[in-house]
Amino acid sequence: MLDVLIIGAGPAGLSAANACREWDLNVLVIDEFPQPGGRLLGQLHQEPNGKWWNGIEETRMLLEKADALGADIRCGLSAFHIEKASHGFSVYTNQGVFDTANLLIATGAAESPVPIPGWTLPGVMSIGAAQVMTNVHRVRVGNRGIIVGVNVLSAAIARELQLAGVEIHSMALPALNIVNEEHGHPRKVMERLVRMAHLAPSAWIRFGSQFAKIDWMRNLAVKFYPKHGVKMWGLPIHIRKAVTEICGKDQVEAVTICDITAEGERIPGTEQTIEVDFVCIAGGLYPLAELAAVIGCPFQYIEELGGHVPVHNEQMETPLEGLYVAGNITGIESAKVARAQGALAGLSIVKRMCRESEDLKQKIHEAKQNVRTIREQVTIQFHPGIHQGRLKMETVFKEVCDQ
Amino acid sequence: MNNRIVDHPILGKIKERKVISFTFDGKKYTGYEGDTIASALLANGIRKLRVHEESGNPRGIYCNIGHCFECRLTVDQEPGVRACLTQLQENMVIESGKRLPAPLKSEGNRDDLPRNYAEFAKKYEESKEDDPRA
Amino acid sequence: MDKIIICRCEEVDLEEIEQTVNKYGSSARETKLRTRAGMGYCGGRTCRPMIDTILEQLTGEKPKDKIPLKVQPPVRPVSLARLGDKTHHE
Ligand SMILES: Cc1cc2nc3c(=O)[nH]c(=O)nc-3n(C[C@H](O)[C@H](O)[C@H](O)COP(=O)(O)OP(=O)(O)OC[C@H]3O[C@@H](n4cnc5c(N)ncnc54)[C@H](O)[C@@H]3O)c2cc1C
Ligand code: FES
Ligand code: FES
Repeated sequence: MLDVLIIGAGPAGLSAANACREWDLNVLVIDEFPQPGGRLLGQLHQEPNGKWWNGIEETRMLLEKADALGADIRCGLSAFHIEKASHGFSVYTNQGVFDTANLLIATGAAESPVPIPGWTLPGVMSIGAAQVMTNVHRVRVGNRGIIVGVNVLSAAIARELQLAGVEIHSMALPALNIVNEEHGHPRKVMERLVRMAHLAPSAWIRFGSQFAKIDWMRNLAVKFYPKHGVKMWGLPIHIRKAVTEICGKDQVEAVTICDITAEGERIPGTEQTIEVDFVCIAGGLYPLAELAAVIGCPFQYIEELGGHVPVHNEQMETPLEGLYVAGNITGIESAKVARAQGALAGLSIVKRMCRESEDLKQKIHEAKQNVRTIREQVTIQFHPGIHQGRLKMETVFKEVCDQ
Repeated sequence: MNNRIVDHPILGKIKERKVISFTFDGKKYTGYEGDTIASALLANGIRKLRVHEESGNPRGIYCNIGHCFECRLTVDQEPGVRACLTQLQENMVIESGKRLPAPLKSEGNRDDLPRNYAEFAKKYEESKEDDPRA
Repeated sequence: MDKIIICRCEEVDLEEIEQTVNKYGSSARETKLRTRAGMGYCGGRTCRPMIDTILEQLTGEKPKDKIPLKVQPPVRPVSLARLGDKTHHE
């Protein structure tokens, strides 16, 4: 029997494993991806200080430590079901069942799409798919493409594609429909971009500062948005153009793009066909929490955290004894926050398994502090209301436990 | 093949890797050690991996990280294998997903994967009976 | 081709979901059962957020707060041979 089973070898899962190994717990990490690192592997962006955040290097450091501590990490294992048992939990995978006293679910996030006609054609992929293909597998996703959906993540990945020598025609919005409200409305998109600009890499800051933070300026900016887009790293970003259709027979051959009003309505007669061989769809991220749901962990819908999130407290404990969560399953944030949360979750598990000492108490206190500090400092922030979201969750946890 | 990103300004030059041969729908291709089936096929210019079982509409990778199941293929006779999560191996025999004849479609002939909770629960109960712990 | 597919696995489009909601005034759960949207191979992982949005827009039904999320095992389709594999690791 294991002391701890960790599902997900992303930054959260790996740093949790390291924390547990430091206290000599018997740990196994499983992941269905062929190599450990999770979504950290594909990340590559420049910080405001000019340094590169290189996910492959960051992963290597986590793995070196795991190796030195003797953590057992196995890839190619998919967890499909969990049952509560007298000893703790039984986790069902494609390679048999694992029994464990404690379970940490660190399955990260999934992408939500912005659907437009033709988006099931081969050659249309999520923006994250392009990131992994480019930076992890080092295969070109195509010769020339367009990115549908303008947000922090898609801009960062557009830059990554460019660095790898893949031609991006432009970034534009998805044609407005009732699903795409948040992503197809120029004013809403502009709001979000401007609110993010102050904490982003230098090119973003330049982008954001072209539009002042005052309401009426922002409205004007949307109204008089340049016809040729605003260029970032030489890449045209359009918020007054929308992709209305993806065309092709057996795979993507072209897209139709048209001008839109400040309210997102199509302007007839402005349609244009652009030849591309790939399209990336970017509609943001949501916590991938299905495994916590199958064992009946309570959930709360919190928009600032990205959707339905398993109820948990600041120490990463859930109301189910022995069940822990960490990383993007608890809310969409940068990999640095996920890594810090993982370390904290690991220590909380140690606390349950070992006698509580002054030393451990102090370490948990520091780990908590660390999550807070990193949250303040990160450059990539997915939701401006993350702090409110975290506070709401604290309250919900107390309510649930009082019942 | 120039579909590989050999040089990268920050990530550096790609490592020399062993060449791996495989077949896709009977045709011979090569990839590299460390490729997933999805990355090897894309590097060979192949985007269409299967067709929707009922409509016959073409599909390729969508998420590339195991979530959407759009990339499922038959690999060495095992159906439902996710190309984006499976490491390429020497002499793999890979088949694209085909359209199923209409009368068969609802008779569970796609493969033996339970497609909803009721099916899962039933099969799960059956399989429990031969649980060594029980 | 101007259909907007919402559920890729079951090829259910926006119009079909809208019509179903309008005709039956159905809840999220009922809409999924009627159209099969969200009941496909991926277990709704790709389309669930979109279906939630559509239903919120059409019916005003907010994603539910405190109830356990309705996700049923298996969260990955699993072959019978593997389901039957009850080998417990040491
Ligand atoms: C496609 C994508 C791209 C992203 N790009 C960026 C970016 O550029 N910059 C940024 O700051 N953030 C990015 N993020 C956000 C990212 O989620 C966090 O940065 C960070 O990686 C979260 O860490 P984590 O450990 O919580 O989860 P992850 O890093 O996502 O790791 C979770 C792991 O769990 C595994 N897993 C999931 N379910 C199962 C299962 N049932 N069985 C077995 N294993 C399972 C997955 O294979 C994965 O390896 C991205 C997220 C996604 C989804
Ligand atoms: S492309 Fe989504 S599961 Fe493989
Ligand atoms: S996309 Fe709807 S179930 Fe897979």
